[in-house]
Amino acid sequence: MSSTALQNLIEQPYKHGFVTEIEADVAPKGLSEDTIRLISRKKNEPEWLLEFRLKAFRHWLEMTEPAWPNVRYPKIDFQDISYYSAPKPKKKLASMDEVDPELRRTFEKLGVPLHEQKALAGVAVDVIFDSVSVTTTYKKRLAEAGVIFCSISEAVRDHPELVRKYLGTVVPQGDNYYAALNSAVFTDGSFCFIPKGVRCPMELSTYFRINTQESGQFERTLIVAEEGAYVSYLEGCTAPQFDTNQLHAAVVELVALDDAEIKYSTVQNWYAGDKDGKGGIYNFVTKRGLCKGRSSKISWTQVETGSAITWKYPSCVLLGDNSVGEFYSVALTNHHQQADTGTKMIHVGRNTRSRIISKGISAGQSNNSYRGLVKVGPKAAGARNFSQCDSMLIGDACGAHTFPYIQVQNDSAIVEHEATTSKIGEDQLFYFASRGIATEEAVSMIINGFVKEVFTQLPMEFAVEATKLLGLKLEGSVG
Amino acid sequence: MKTEAGMKTEAGMKTEAKTYLASLLAAHPALPGGPAAWLARLRAAALERANALTVPTTRDEDWRFTDLSPLYKTAYERAAAPAAPDRAAIEQRFLPEAGGRLVFVDGHYSAELSTPQEGDAYVGTLAGALRRDSAQLEAHLARHVDFEADPFAAVNTAFLQDCAVVHVPGGRKVERPVQLLFVATQAERVAYPRVLAIVERGAELTLVEDYLSLTDAAYFVNGVTELAIAENASLAHVRVQRESDKAFHIASSVASLARDARYAAQSVSIGARISRLNHGIRQGGEGTDCLVDGLALIAGRQLADTHSFIDHAHPHGRSRQLHKCVVDGAGHAVFNGRILVRKGAQLTDSAQSSRNLLLTGRAHVDTKPQLEILADDVKCAHGATVGQLDPEHVFYLRSRGLSEVAARNLLTYAFAAEVVDRIPVASLRGWLEAQVVERTHAKEPGG
Repeated sequence: MSSTALQNLIEQPYKHGFVTEIEADVAPKGLSEDTIRLISRKKNEPEWLLEFRLKAFRHWLEMTEPAWPNVRYPKIDFQDISYYSAPKPKKKLASMDEVDPELRRTFEKLGVPLHEQKALAGVAVDVIFDSVSVTTTYKKRLAEAGVIFCSISEAVRDHPELVRKYLGTVVPQGDNYYAALNSAVFTDGSFCFIPKGVRCPMELSTYFRINTQESGQFERTLIVAEEGAYVSYLEGCTAPQFDTNQLHAAVVELVALDDAEIKYSTVQNWYAGDKDGKGGIYNFVTKRGLCKGRSSKISWTQVETGSAITWKYPSCVLLGDNSVGEFYSVALTNHHQQADTGTKMIHVGRNTRSRIISKGISAGQSNNSYRGLVKVGPKAAGARNFSQCDSMLIGDACGAHTFPYIQVQNDSAIVEHEATTSKIGEDQLFYFASRGIATEEAVSMIINGFVKEVFTQLPMEFAVEATKLLGLKLEGSVG
Repeated sequence: MKTEAGMKTEAGMKTEAKTYLASLLAAHPALPGGPAAWLARLRAAALERANALTVPTTRDEDWRFTDLSPLYKTAYERAAAPAAPDRAAIEQRFLPEAGGRLVFVDGHYSAELSTPQEGDAYVGTLAGALRRDSAQLEAHLARHVDFEADPFAAVNTAFLQDCAVVHVPGGRKVERPVQLLFVATQAERVAYPRVLAIVERGAELTLVEDYLSLTDAAYFVNGVTELAIAENASLAHVRVQRESDKAFHIASSVASLARDARYAAQSVSIGARISRLNHGIRQGGEGTDCLVDGLALIAGRQLADTHSFIDHAHPHGRSRQLHKCVVDGAGHAVFNGRILVRKGAQLTDSAQSSRNLLLTGRAHVDTKPQLEILADDVKCAHGATVGQLDPEHVFYLRSRGLSEVAARNLLTYAFAAEVVDRIPVASLRGWLEAQVVERTHAKEPGG
């Protein structure tokens, strides 16, 4: 893409009724050490964090954009992006009537509760469902349990020792091109710390922080679960999100100590571009969990339906003996979307186990790739992996690809990989028709059956919405 | 990706790799001008291409797990024809079933050891084939293995001289297998074996390619095999690679299948310090059927790499692939099985399975079954497993009175036998069965 085209995308007015107020607190375009010093100064960061950023930036300068993924996109001009802007106040709408009808229709189809609809659409929330008070109640309950849950900037200010101890330990500054970029310029994100022995009293979700923070372009999330702690974290939501930033390069780091468990669920429905594949978000994310302690467990669940290009591999490094890594994924692509997603399971400790269930659905002219790595190190005696990757093709212009890498260096390891590709059979549809079920509904039932193994891993209300979301995304692509 | 930084750190290796290819080509003799001008042009084009290419390193995705730097350390000279090869040792490997037989020693055709056929079906050298039908050779030679991006295929084509040619005319069923024997006898030399088989409409052929060594030293074999299978023809292809444990063996083998053609291949890799087989199957019409089996049986510090590519470009194609690796010692097996189903290749039925058995804690496997599907009405499945012998199976056999070692040997043998059993030549099957026992069997303690 030419820089002007990218420019247009960046400068596009916030669609669907949102207005961005013009404010002065924006860093000039371009990336240099000065920009990074500016970001760090604006955020009043300590010296060590500035060093962290600069080190990442120096790494980044020496790296080149990876070319191995099975995705095509025009070159990104990194000097044409503004890397810092103060949080933008959104214009509050008086009532739901002012919200774009298209967006309202989507909400209805998804069955998003009214107060959440308002929160998501930026409508001033009424007294009863005041999100601020809801947030306060939540924060109080979390504080009682000893859980720290705040933005990463607050964490740097209030808990610098914790952030310093864990930041960059799972995804180092020089890990990959986009992770290095993120480490240099990240401006927002979440920090979550669950102390020893605490079971987090509620699902931590982005719902109750949605109107205090917008999902950022270079988001940084760090979750630490101490010995025996448990947390379930939900990211994103089923509602469509329109964002002015085209490139998203987030980094998520999870650390689980002895006997700790982290469950991380994502539902992503960002703007995917129009039917002809114009526009849309580039979602280039590095997500990695470190099972540092014995018998720790990290479980990733993702439902990827949005973005023009999705490129992410939520991974688990199974360092502690007996630790467990899980990856459940549904990736749906339609029109001209491209997805190259999967996971990495790195078995280091003894008796480590991992399980991968990946379901890809491609429709339209889209391309959907599963790329996964299962690596068993020489010391990972008794390691066990099971992978299953199923693809479903809807229409004859789309593609489904599987690239599983299996590297085993220990003879006591057992690694299994299975993959199948299929389409919705004529006889299946005929069976439904003979029972009086119309094609559209039959297809939706078959797809729900196809993804069920993954959706059962999602928290209840998410699962219901995600089911409807799939139906919505595939509308018009069958029959 | 060649990063600026990467260039810096790898400068030494790059130049080394660069000079490697140049020094191979420096030995390029003015080959005797053949009767065909097109052949000279082909060699010249390949030479030019080879000069433009660089050899791969582990930074290339296709060579990620196979480090060729030991090969690049010394560029061997091209082997001259040996004065008197050990006739008895070579004859030991003659297949009693074989009809036509061609023997190449260090890449040079040995007339005294060969039994060419000149009748209806032709089994002989390139020179003889050129006299029969030059135009047909032109249509096939270097048309199936592409040297555009492959430096090894380009060098092989540039040095193309004694090529084994098998031609079966339409409707003819060759009853007895044709054996092609490539023998290495000289240390620190390079040989360029080349095979072209043309099986015409409705014809049938069993072809055995056999690579062996009479020396324990290091040498380099860089081979290319091209197989053209016409409409409704059938080819059974057995490839046995048993080079010395210090040798380097890099080969490309491509079969092009016309409508309703059938291809069944068993490739066995036993020898070589580093071996690599690029096995391509190209579908050129509807309704083709292929069976692609592989077996790597390695130990010590050997590396056996198989990259297969099954290209489904037309509807109703069927492919079955079973690749097995038995890895002992500190061996390293690599498998990359790519199956591409192109747009419009509807009703393709493809199944691929990669099974790997690690016998020691130091053995190591990298496997990547890879499906790329661009058509919607297809049935494709692949599976991969890596594991050790099941302790319960061992326990069962021990409860029947077998010793631990005997039980393990029996199970290892059974694992490999699934591929060996499909080889259509009885004597070769017997020989390979003995090899499986010899190569992988642990000895009884104290015995």
